[in-house]
Amino acid sequence: MEGDIVLAAKFIGAGLAMIGAAGAGVGIGLSVQGALTGMARNPDTYGNLLTNMILGIAFSEAIAIYCLVIAFLMLFVL
Amino acid sequence: MEQEVKRRPWRRWVVLVLMIVGCGLGGGLAFLGIPGFPAVRPEITVAPEKLIEEPLFNLGPLGDFYLVNTLPTLLFTVFIVILPLAWWTRRSLRKSAETDLVPRGIGNLMEAILEVLYNLTEGSAGAKYARMIFPWFATILIYVLVANLLKLVPGFESVGVLHHAAEGHAIAPLAGKWSLLTGAEGEYILAPFFRGISVDLNFTAALALIAVVMIQVIGFRAQGFGYLSKFFSTRRMFKVPFFGAMDFLVGLLELISELSKILSFAFRLFGNMFAGIVLVALVASMLGFVSILPAMIMMFELFVGVIQAFVFGMLTMVFMAQATQGHGEEHAETH
Repeated sequence: MEGDIVLAAKFIGAGLAMIGAAGAGVGIGLSVQGALTGMARNPDTYGNLLTNMILGIAFSEAIAIYCLVIAFLMLFVL
Repeated sequence: MEQEVKRRPWRRWVVLVLMIVGCGLGGGLAFLGIPGFPAVRPEITVAPEKLIEEPLFNLGPLGDFYLVNTLPTLLFTVFIVILPLAWWTRRSLRKSAETDLVPRGIGNLMEAILEVLYNLTEGSAGAKYARMIFPWFATILIYVLVANLLKLVPGFESVGVLHHAAEGHAIAPLAGKWSLLTGAEGEYILAPFFRGISVDLNFTAALALIAVVMIQVIGFRAQGFGYLSKFFSTRRMFKVPFFGAMDFLVGLLELISELSKILSFAFRLFGNMFAGIVLVALVASMLGFVSILPAMIMMFELFVGVIQAFVFGMLTMVFMAQATQGHGEEHAETH
């Protein structure tokens, strides 16, 4: 019976850990929005903005990836 | 110039046939009596699997040295892909240097790639330091890119050694010593021969350490010991004590952020690639009968791999460029 509770706690914990991905989603959305607005206003800056946008996305995405790693650790390692 | 294009109308059907064959191999045509080879949910471990249970040799206080399955991949990446590529490029460039200085073939390709990367470096680091920063940037980018794209090679993460385990899958004999892992309950798990090196935290942490240490080295080479004033800022300590103290605290925070760069570099690459293999494995084992779906996820993961290689190199380059610029002497250098 004890094992079952631990298993349930693992799943709940993994699920809770992934809440952090919401913040990363907002961050990625904001950076893409900013870049797209800039591109629409001034199409010449397309290449420059794209590079920086991808960098920004990678920064925000890293947060979601940390959450994912924690979730995986809970599911498969602990 | 008008060249008669040979019409091959059957070509477009090849893709469809291949899709159906793939679907059948994945077990999607089971309702027609074709069992196929359904994908098995692999044993997902964060640490690389050991190919041989016993340690190869002992490293004293560092512990035992195991033959893990990222080691063959590392050797594969370096000795079968990157070094021959370098040798081939060098030969091609030598040949062109002897004749008419026009690079052809692989030399031309590598020159085009490196020129794009060099222009990128020059754009954000300036011409003065670009030569110093560029080798690190390009090396990391190309290395991680090759390592991430290597999972396209068939057999990666799917062919390997069978280990005994309490919970696992049954095996079916294939030919000779080879067996096939089946979906039924059994006592075997698979440790593949090759596992992408970016899916090993040791590799990404080592790369992150190299990157962050070299950021400091380049900072020192560019500014001398003035680079330390970024961390221990005493410039305004006596003129304006309050803001001086504030600067000092901010400098200490810079020190912490420098350390956290190692963590974020290592975990960004590792997390992305690890999430990639887990996603492909889970989708393939749960929805393998729709064989186009794992293929789509695989394509997305390749894209992620390219982006992560780019991001790793790009961030190294941007941080190095930042380290070459002094903290409080912007006004002195504007001319």
